[in-house]
Amino acid sequence: MLGLPVINNLIALLLWESFFVLIIMPGFAVLGTLLLILPWIERKMVGRMQWRVGPREISPRTRGIIQLLADSLRFLFQEVIIHKDAHKRYFLQFPFLYFIPVLLPLLFINAGTAGSPLVPIVSDYGLQLMVALICLMPVFILGLGWASNNRFAFIGTVREAFLYFAYEIPFIVAVFAMVVMYGTSNSVGVVDAQAGGLWGIILNPIAALTFFIAALMATARLPFDIPEADQEVSFGPFVEFSGIAFGLAYVMGYEKMYVLSALMTMLFLGGGSGPMIPGLGEVSYLIWFVLKTLIVMIVVVNLRGVYPRYRLDQGMKIGWNAMLILALVAVAWSLVIGAII
Amino acid sequence: MKKIATPEYDIKEKLKCHATALATAAKEVVAPLSVTTQYPRERRKWPDCFRGYILFDPERCISCFECSFVCPANAIWMKEAKSGRYYPTLDYGKCIFCHFCIDSCPGGALKTTKIHDVSYTTMDEMFTDTEEMIAPPEIIREDEGYVEYEIDRDDLTLKRTKGQDNLIVDVAPSQGVPMVSVCVDSGSCIACKICEKVCESGAVSWALDDVKDVIRMAIDSETCTGCGLCVKECSMQILRLVRK
Repeated sequence: MLGLPVINNLIALLLWESFFVLIIMPGFAVLGTLLLILPWIERKMVGRMQWRVGPREISPRTRGIIQLLADSLRFLFQEVIIHKDAHKRYFLQFPFLYFIPVLLPLLFINAGTAGSPLVPIVSDYGLQLMVALICLMPVFILGLGWASNNRFAFIGTVREAFLYFAYEIPFIVAVFAMVVMYGTSNSVGVVDAQAGGLWGIILNPIAALTFFIAALMATARLPFDIPEADQEVSFGPFVEFSGIAFGLAYVMGYEKMYVLSALMTMLFLGGGSGPMIPGLGEVSYLIWFVLKTLIVMIVVVNLRGVYPRYRLDQGMKIGWNAMLILALVAVAWSLVIGAII
Repeated sequence: MKKIATPEYDIKEKLKCHATALATAAKEVVAPLSVTTQYPRERRKWPDCFRGYILFDPERCISCFECSFVCPANAIWMKEAKSGRYYPTLDYGKCIFCHFCIDSCPGGALKTTKIHDVSYTTMDEMFTDTEEMIAPPEIIREDEGYVEYEIDRDDLTLKRTKGQDNLIVDVAPSQGVPMVSVCVDSGSCIACKICEKVCESGAVSWALDDVKDVIRMAIDSETCTGCGLCVKECSMQILRLVRK
């Protein structure tokens, strides 16, 4: 192409299957697009629920779809203020370091279907690695809050730590229940086990419910908006951040949600299985995968229009009480159903 | 003693509540009931009793100062016109839009409008002269329709109508309580004839009493409008307003 040898190599690299999955779809490119659109979808739908209009004034003809673009421009040009009491080094490093645990789980996501896996790295310990990376995220939030050296950030950080322990154990046990059910922790094997429309959510709905609630807690979405509660602790650990650093922190919540929704799609909604779209080949699996992930994300974001925020003690009670019991029941369920199948 | 406790629900009722909440949310996403008025593009239709910008009709004014007296914010000051009559001026920097002035006006010279979006750039502009109060102020109308909220039982619906709403209210001037001026102590009258001078309707007349050779004032209760000007101006403070 154009007589340039490098271009050919680049295109070959981009179209190389495992690289394409990681970089384009459902990897970074789709993630970036969703990050620009999802907050708009969220604000519009929640606005409709609450009899409001939602973002409208920026580009009224498109119903304000470029609102987040305008917001991110503002974040870009805003001054990043580092206050006197902050631990300067960690204060600036943690928002960027936070990227590592948020984006690395995408390496093990299988967006394919039974028989034709689409996964960047095939590993027998894929699920364990993903869970380990997801469980690493709150550590960085704790670091952010500690480096901020602010009372609101401190309260938010402590709340985050409390909730972290409350949801982490049911979350891991719920994933463990599915590992028991499928008999493998390889992301290829997990999707293969759901062949024939027998999705994880049908095989073990209790584990799906536990995983979903844990995902809500992990992403600090309502009704478990406890660490970031704007009205009480004004965005908790992120209170001192401004400009691009706040933009990163804001976007990071959505990225975390994307990773958890993708994991939910893979574990419970059959990965990229769906009717073939003619002429697209394996890309149709990717489209199904992204669509399912998007639906999970829309359900997650829209809960903020339905539920009020739980108190910290109520959130803890749900985590340590109901969810832990549910997760253990899910393991038992998996053992029984697995034995029957 | 009765203790009030939080209601207790069993798991079945809780699940039912969750399902209802989610179903309501889903219903609103599909067919939402927006209650937002897109203000410059559409206006809310206000009732005729809306307390907005105040208009003044000098033809009906009898210079009784009632509006100025009643104003709790002291926003209305009377100003002498070329004709020698006193007319109100209104300072919107002080006005609290209580519309006591409109309620107290015996002649119905002040009236309300549905205009609520008048803006000024300086404090001096907010002082509205009598001449400026006669015609409605210039406002930029961007509205192409108006909305009305209709409440039926427990639900609220929004009715949108095309076209501009008329912001000027046409209300008949209130008749008020018919009052008439009477002299309560004619023995103290010094016949200064001020009451006759101020009377707009010519109800006060005077006559020379032949017997005692003094001037006697008389108020014709038929023609008296009960404006109270003579009551205010009487130098001996012997006139009173009473019900007709």
